[in-house]
Amino acid sequence: MTVPATRNDLMIVNMGPHHPSMHGVLRLIVTLDGEDVIDCEPILGYLHRGMEKIAENRTIIQYLPYVTRWDYLATMFTEAITVNAPEELGNIQVPRRASYIRVIMLELSRIASHLLWLGPFMADIGAQTPFFYIFRERELLYDLFETATGMRMMHNFFRIGGVAADLPHGWIDKCLDFCDYFLPEVAEYQKLITRNPIFLERVEGVGFIAEEEAINWGLSGPMLRASGIPWDLRKVDHYECYDEFDWEVQWQKEGDSLARYLVRISEMIESVKIIQQALEGIPGGPYENLEARRFDRVRNIEWNDFEYRFISKKPSPTFELSKQELYVRVEAPKGELGIFLIGDNSVFPWRWKIRPPGLINLQILPQLVKRMKLADIMTILGSIDIIMGEVDR
Amino acid sequence: MDNQSIFQYSLETFPKKWVHLMERSEHGNRFDTNTDYLFKLLYFLKFHTYTRVQVLIDICGVDYPSRKRRFEVVYNLLSTRYNSRIRVQTSADEVTRISSVVSLFPSAGWWEREVWDMFGVSFINHPDLRRILTDYGFEGHPLRKDFPLSGYVEVRYDDPEKRVVSEPIEMTQEFRYFDSASPWEQRSDG
Repeated sequence: MTVPATRNDLMIVNMGPHHPSMHGVLRLIVTLDGEDVIDCEPILGYLHRGMEKIAENRTIIQYLPYVTRWDYLATMFTEAITVNAPEELGNIQVPRRASYIRVIMLELSRIASHLLWLGPFMADIGAQTPFFYIFRERELLYDLFETATGMRMMHNFFRIGGVAADLPHGWIDKCLDFCDYFLPEVAEYQKLITRNPIFLERVEGVGFIAEEEAINWGLSGPMLRASGIPWDLRKVDHYECYDEFDWEVQWQKEGDSLARYLVRISEMIESVKIIQQALEGIPGGPYENLEARRFDRVRNIEWNDFEYRFISKKPSPTFELSKQELYVRVEAPKGELGIFLIGDNSVFPWRWKIRPPGLINLQILPQLVKRMKLADIMTILGSIDIIMGEVDR
Repeated sequence: MDNQSIFQYSLETFPKKWVHLMERSEHGNRFDTNTDYLFKLLYFLKFHTYTRVQVLIDICGVDYPSRKRRFEVVYNLLSTRYNSRIRVQTSADEVTRISSVVSLFPSAGWWEREVWDMFGVSFINHPDLRRILTDYGFEGHPLRKDFPLSGYVEVRYDDPEKRVVSEPIEMTQEFRYFDSASPWEQRSDG
């Protein structure tokens, strides 16, 4: 009887474009030696839709519905950066009320994105329960977005110079209710997950990125902050009206997957703080009060002033982009989302380059998995938090 | 230190022949350089104590078909130490090869692959220069201005052959161009 010989050569395994978790269509070609990973090669391009070329043939207002399809979980950020680019090009001031509404929407979107990062991350590790909990919270966010913008996910809400419509009656109270409801929920997640020994075994020490490496590889967002660099564009760039709120940059020193998890959880709590402050301090207050003041018998000029306006739905469709180049950026939940815009004295941009945080953060993956086991690939991939919609555009 | 001082300092410090154009504006400062000096300039910016531009944010290709050197490759850089950003641009034509900056900034790996894939500008010393976003076996460089928006081929699954095939594009509707800039009402018969 012949004894089958054990082969020692390396195995090349394809983790094909379809994934059970919600990362999107990413193909990983993994070279394995038994259970150890020797190399991993990501192959992108399965979701490439030519967003940049389409942008060269659309006006800004025509292009807005496309942008939410880049990062389809944190849609307000893509819209914010699409309107920030022409606003900076044309030096357009945004009214304070519109800026507050934008900040509220952006922070709600950040919470939504981190929630939908948490669910699949835990599902990859093996814990199925948080997946249902996060969708329960996300549904509440969808309800808020739907009443304010008309759509659950692909909002098309931001306009050049402000937002498309003012907040409806009672929205501010509903949003404050959501914030009060959400904080104990995050505490529940932390009770369930953070000190769970199985979770810690899977996640602690996995995928370590040193500080120097993080800077060299151009990482941004929670990946950078988890490696000990408190770099947050909201504090550094002073954009929108983040300076008027009292909040801290969340960062950790360890640089492993656990640190990234902690950064994102604390960012969610910090976002709730910002939203609560914004809702209480919004110029004009809730829409019903603003309306009443505008229609007051003694017509006070102040309540019709620039600062209390949002922008209406119809800015000029022939908004011309002057012949300049600029790079705008925003602190998306995944990292630094940027647009490099070259205008052309016409309604169409000459070059619209999208700088997705996911592409850069994904590039470090082959290096991180080199000494790890096969099961750690999914943990690391999950902790990087990528969305193929923006990686591939 | 802000944008202006890092810009001013670097202008005064490195050899003048490295940049042939500089521009400062409130939207960001930029250096235009030659492909020969590109690597040296980026090396200087990255390692010099008072510029320390350690983060490569973006490498972008731009196509200006009316120019002789039609492509422009833009490097967006950031210094976290001094919180300032700077742009370095070089021009190239279809056959010029630019030296790769992967040894300086590892994040340039995929960006340069994308510039190669989308524009056709190739890079010397790049460890792995191949297509990144387009389909396997795709021909052409999509983001060039002479490549049409709809492309040249369309793909479909062919049941007899049991695989995906590429065929020349078939437009069932004539291309309609709507001039957004003009206030006149557009009619389909022109």
